[in-house]
Amino acid sequence: MNTPHQHIIKSYDDELKRLTGEIVKMGELAVAQLEAAIDVVQRRDERAAQRVVDNDEAIDALEQEISQDVVRLLALRAPIAGDLRNVFAALRIAADIERIGDYAANVAKRSIPLSRVAPIAVVGGLANLAELAIEELRDVLKAYHEQDAEAAYEVWKADARLDEEYTLVFRALLTYMMEDPRNITPCTHLLFMAKNIERIGDHATNIAENVWFVVNGEPLVAPRVKKDTTANPEF
Amino acid sequence: MTNMNEVASKPGFGTSPHESGVDLGQVPAKMTVRDLNFHYGEFHALKSIAMDVPEKKVTAIIGPSGCGKSTLLRIFNRIYAIYPSLRASGEIVLDGENILDPKYSLNRLRSKVGMVFQKPVPFPMTIFENVAYGIRHHEKLNRTDMEGRVEQALRGAALWDEVKDKLKQSALGLSGGQQQRLCIARGIALKPEVLLLDEPTSALDPIATSRIEQLVEELKSQFTIVIVTHNMQQAARCSDMTAFMYMGELIEFDRTEKIFTKPNKKQTEDYITGRFG
Amino acid sequence: MSASLYTTRRIKNVLAMILSVAATGIGLLFLAWILWETLSQGIAGLKPALFTKITAYREEGGLANAMVGSLILNVIGILIATPIGVMAGTWLAEYSRRSRLGPTIRFLNDILLSAPSIVLGLFVYTIIVLPSQWLTNGDVTFSGIAGGIALALIALPVIVRTTDEMLRLVPGTLREAALSLGVPQWKLTVQILIRAARSGIVTGVLLALARISGETAPLLLTAFGNNFMTFNPLDKMPSLPQVIYDYTKDPSPDINTLAWAGAFVLTMFVLALSLVARFVFSRSKVSHD
Repeated sequence: MNTPHQHIIKSYDDELKRLTGEIVKMGELAVAQLEAAIDVVQRRDERAAQRVVDNDEAIDALEQEISQDVVRLLALRAPIAGDLRNVFAALRIAADIERIGDYAANVAKRSIPLSRVAPIAVVGGLANLAELAIEELRDVLKAYHEQDAEAAYEVWKADARLDEEYTLVFRALLTYMMEDPRNITPCTHLLFMAKNIERIGDHATNIAENVWFVVNGEPLVAPRVKKDTTANPEF
Repeated sequence: MTNMNEVASKPGFGTSPHESGVDLGQVPAKMTVRDLNFHYGEFHALKSIAMDVPEKKVTAIIGPSGCGKSTLLRIFNRIYAIYPSLRASGEIVLDGENILDPKYSLNRLRSKVGMVFQKPVPFPMTIFENVAYGIRHHEKLNRTDMEGRVEQALRGAALWDEVKDKLKQSALGLSGGQQQRLCIARGIALKPEVLLLDEPTSALDPIATSRIEQLVEELKSQFTIVIVTHNMQQAARCSDMTAFMYMGELIEFDRTEKIFTKPNKKQTEDYITGRFG
Repeated sequence: MSASLYTTRRIKNVLAMILSVAATGIGLLFLAWILWETLSQGIAGLKPALFTKITAYREEGGLANAMVGSLILNVIGILIATPIGVMAGTWLAEYSRRSRLGPTIRFLNDILLSAPSIVLGLFVYTIIVLPSQWLTNGDVTFSGIAGGIALALIALPVIVRTTDEMLRLVPGTLREAALSLGVPQWKLTVQILIRAARSGIVTGVLLALARISGETAPLLLTAFGNNFMTFNPLDKMPSLPQVIYDYTKDPSPDINTLAWAGAFVLTMFVLALSLVARFVFSRSKVSHD
């Protein structure tokens, strides 16, 4: 899409820019939270984990701010066409990032009980999973910032890798639990953490779909490859 | 919270958005405009316009001042012909006949195509006479029938309850919004097939504007309506199809929903979102 | 310095105000003076006899025949000028749009509007009064009809002008609205436009009447004057302005007083006409805004 002209009313442009800026800022915060969360899991640092949990409030506050900005823009500017898609997508993307923040906080929270039992090797798999999710998130935020639908589509496709990785972690955890019932408590925590990170990937694809919608004005249409096979009966 | 797998298998996900919404391709065209050119003296005001005005739908024409939208509307009932040095060429086919053909009777055209103007222009007569005036020119009716027709028209224009006790009073005493509805009543009293509205609410306050828009909504079950408006939100609110015109050209003509969510042309998007063109 | 700028402006404003008030004051002063003079000089002559007796009685008489004569002359003048004037004005406003004749005629009408009235009198004298002697075997042929025609020539351009102006003030959208109902041009003109401009046209006619009721010069050569009461338009006919003219030149002070009384009556008549015209125009003024 070629760059749109400026609005005749300049403050309208400023408000739209501010909205985009808030989304990007919120996304960066979520990425930082996720990085910190996986870091505390590896370092088994209870106090740092608590800080990550507390920091989630900042993301929630940003989401509130964005909601208010969106309502104000809708009421006062009555945006249409591309502007409307932009504002509408901002609201949805903010909700996705808010959930991502919640999941990151959740991972940090579960690291507290985990740090009180003996270390488990699968944590490395979890870090891999988190790395993929962080990459996905960064890419999709960049695609949003640059209004790049193709880049967003790449992220959307890349989520299959995260699903695959999640399936691997899932299998590994099952094996651990079968080997030794004492592993059940920490492995259940790890299972939830892995699931949380996998969900972060799903929200990243939601964001990708919204970027596609903003740019092209239509939903993202493509065959979806399912790589998370853990729910299949034959698994 | 839904699982990603469910999202992936959700029905409808992955279907083309073009299949959603009303398909106006199914609606027959009431008026077909083909290669319409219009000149004011040397000035080429309309350039090769082609569009199908769907039957019993509201078609809005939007565009900046001087884009030719009013001109186009004024060709639909050939009212432009009262001024010298204006020329229209091309075709406008209404029910299979070209209304631009000089042989097409103006009387017939104007009983089939009614028009309401920007400023309410009631005639300097009573409310009753305002509505009866046009009917009387086209039909011979006895007193009772005429009263019936006038009442029907006033009801159609959602004005009856406000004026039924003062039909014998001058129409000039009505408020702007009432006067405009009286003009609509006067137009629909002739039972036209097409109703042209030239910025019908630009001189009215928001409440009177809403009344007219509601009226348009009601009238479209009986008439094919073409409305020219400066107010894009109005076009969005009350039309099924929207035409965007710029510098005498029809830039884009599509479903209103499409125009206001994802127009195909950048010029259209720039105009409706308020950007420098 | 903005303060001094404002002060200068205020001073200019006050000066302009003083000048305008003074100018208005001078105008009003003369108007009041004229009214006062006619009233104070004519009050002695304002007795019942003024309205009942004719000029033949001189000092003992009144102006009854002149008033009746004036009335007849004015009525003839307006009756001739109104239909022609309204129709010509309508043609100018509604039908001359596509021809170059319109502006030309409008220009000529304006010339007629400012033509000296004595010239119009002379014109009527030449083309009506003199030729009709041929019918009467050389008898004098001054007549009320001739006077009425002369007055009509003065009223005509006023009526043409106001009709034209008033019709052109009717918004074009009213025409379009009627035409878009399929109504033909003649119906539109007669039933809607003239109706919309009616009060303006009536005002024009009343103002024309006020204008001709004070005319003296064209009547000297056409109606001539008559010291007796006459209702016959083919007869010589007296008129108020002409009697005032004659009586003012008279050496007798009593006759002069009668002239003043006549002037007062005439002034009041014109004033009343203007007031009626104003009332008509303001009461049913058509607004399309």
